[in-house]
Amino acid sequence: MLSRTAEYLYWISRYMERAETTARLLDVGYRMSLFPNPSGYNNEWESVLSAAGAIEGYKNKYDTIEQKNVEDYLFFDESNPSSVYNCILNARNNALVVRTSFTPESWLAINKTYQEIQKLKEKKFTKSDLPDLTEWTIEQVNLFRGSLSSLLRNDGYNFLFLGLFIERADNSARLLDVKYFVLLPKPQYVGGNIDNMQWSILLRSLSSFRAFRWAYDGNITATKIADFLVLNNNCPRSLSFCIQNIVKHLTNLTCSPEKVGRIYNNLKDLNTKIQEEKIETIVEYGLHQFVTQFIRKISSVDNEIHKEFFN
Amino acid sequence: MYQSESVIRNHYNNINDWLDQMTSKVILEKNAEAETHFRNIGITFSTNNETARERIIPFDLIPRIFTYTEWLRLERGVIQRAKALNAFLADIYNQGEIIKANIIPKEIIYKKKSFEPSMFGFSPPRDIYSPIIGIDLVRTGPNDYFVLEDNCRTPSGVSYMLENREIMMRMFPDLFHNNRVTPIDDYPTRLLQTLMSLAPIKCENPEPVCVLLTPGPLNSAYYEHSFLSDQMGIEMVESTDLFVEGKYLYMKTVDGPKRVDVVYRRIDDDFLDPLCFNPQSVIGIPGIMDVYRTGGVNICSAPGAGIADDKAIYIYVPEMIKFYLGEQPILDNVETWNCEKEQELKYVLDNINELVVKEVDGSGGYGMLIGPKSSKSSIDEFKTKLSTNPKGYIAQPLLDLSFSPTLIKNQVEGRRVDLRPFCLIGEQAQLSSGGLTRVAMNEGSFVVNSSQGGGVKDTWVLAE
Repeated sequence: MLSRTAEYLYWISRYMERAETTARLLDVGYRMSLFPNPSGYNNEWESVLSAAGAIEGYKNKYDTIEQKNVEDYLFFDESNPSSVYNCILNARNNALVVRTSFTPESWLAINKTYQEIQKLKEKKFTKSDLPDLTEWTIEQVNLFRGSLSSLLRNDGYNFLFLGLFIERADNSARLLDVKYFVLLPKPQYVGGNIDNMQWSILLRSLSSFRAFRWAYDGNITATKIADFLVLNNNCPRSLSFCIQNIVKHLTNLTCSPEKVGRIYNNLKDLNTKIQEEKIETIVEYGLHQFVTQFIRKISSVDNEIHKEFFN
Repeated sequence: MYQSESVIRNHYNNINDWLDQMTSKVILEKNAEAETHFRNIGITFSTNNETARERIIPFDLIPRIFTYTEWLRLERGVIQRAKALNAFLADIYNQGEIIKANIIPKEIIYKKKSFEPSMFGFSPPRDIYSPIIGIDLVRTGPNDYFVLEDNCRTPSGVSYMLENREIMMRMFPDLFHNNRVTPIDDYPTRLLQTLMSLAPIKCENPEPVCVLLTPGPLNSAYYEHSFLSDQMGIEMVESTDLFVEGKYLYMKTVDGPKRVDVVYRRIDDDFLDPLCFNPQSVIGIPGIMDVYRTGGVNICSAPGAGIADDKAIYIYVPEMIKFYLGEQPILDNVETWNCEKEQELKYVLDNINELVVKEVDGSGGYGMLIGPKSSKSSIDEFKTKLSTNPKGYIAQPLLDLSFSPTLIKNQVEGRRVDLRPFCLIGEQAQLSSGGLTRVAMNEGSFVVNSSQGGGVKDTWVLAE
């Protein structure tokens, strides 16, 4: 497989995953905006923007934070590199180049999404349309992921999934971090009703609300949720699940065992640590510190993948 | 389709019945279905004056049909021509017999930009310079086919030929039950066999590694590049994926370098090798020409093959056929005046109202004048151009191109068509059983180019 093909496949699934995360974040903002906004909490749209890593870009463009502008910026704005529109556009442009490396269905899924978002972009939207847009995005990304199931299990497949889980690991970690340090600036609110409500919104945004109910009995507590999103191997968005899958798809690669070996060595410790750690230890150590380290590690693995395979 | 005013040619009877039983609602639906299909698979193109980012070519539902005997003659004629063009290239880059025989003056060959001096004295595998040739044909009477031009570099359009058939079979399976249409879907396999049969001398691999070299996604034929490489199961590469080491060409893969034997290039000569051609080019592969000339790789088509489809050379193709093959040309040329010659220029200027004037280096239906259809001011404009730069132009009579029934706003109307079949020459010479029919969608128009509002049709060759 061409190095460039591998790189494009990797990025297609990163972009598709990112499109979904951004759409889900918008949904979080939308739900939070339906609840009363007590003082002490940051503006929900501002936290959504920081979680999406788009706060700076947004402030360069707009003076005030308003739902309509945030929606537009995160969903359609071409000047925002992570907008749903740009993610889909980039995924589609990459797919155009490597369309022959995956199934016609995968190409169709991406290209149809692109055709539709072109049309959506021309329409005028009102506030209440946001849930439809989110739903549409999730549907499209699911179509794409579904189409991957008929792929040949070769290196291309593994590069696609490496991209997906690297992106998801990064996104989940950032969402967790935002919840703790942006949504909740004042410690006395921790564990309060509003806090729990926001945690559950976080779960919803990760499409994990019902799953959480299945996995844990009793009250929703911050510790349980942290455990679920950091350490639970059954939760498809948890950090440990992502790491496990990164390891799996990395070691499944049949090309260049020595390159695989080098990346794996760097990843090994994190994987072992996250499989053995207790949530209480992490919380005690500081969830923020843990998550920051995690994000750094993922980014270094990403760099290595680029260096070893795509150059 | 019609023999005379109201008599339908036999082989169109089935189609006529089929058209009769389609309601306008069905036609509308099917048109929309075809358009959606083309958009979804991404078979789009871009034009020079870009307004919409991506456009699709209008597709006409009514197929164009050739009988077996009609096709047999075309097939022999096109293959004959393709062989002669290759023989011509082998000759002028080596002995130059046709020049010594005073058939073609040497100035018009050696002074052309498309002549590639670095190819002199080098012979590519099997002496094939141009393994894929697209010949543009028009029909002006029951058995009168003329060659409008030859395309020896990297003719495009074959993906439309294949996709048009695909969509027709999908939308109207019954049509294919009731008509014996020769299949064309083996074209990519034949293309790959052709490329593999042209492996360079130093290739030890019994199954030579072929790649398709594309300029990238911004090229108007990009869809075709990815389509063909997909269908052939070979890598589509850009020049940054390739590099030269020692005397071989390699592509960068996740496993490390992999040797490449045959490059089916869809980029122009100028962009192949910055060390040999255009030093400003950022999309070339430094050193590839050296590997090529020492038998480490084959480049299809060969650099410098473009001289064979030069509009000034075109005039001599019938002579080439006689000279190299000792045969009479099966397909005629369109009468052509070479404005470079004083006598002929005078004729063209005197009769410009009746003629079509074309730029020698023009394509895509741009830079041409259709005398009978043009205003006085644009005719005057061309007269000035002709007088100042006669070398840059040729002129031909305005041919009365055949009409083919075409659905225009749900009505069947006649529109002018041409045809481009694709000829492959490697170990053997063969012609696609069909081709790309282009249709001038505007009433009265003679221009079939997609950049100028042309559309396409499925093209059938009926089995014996």
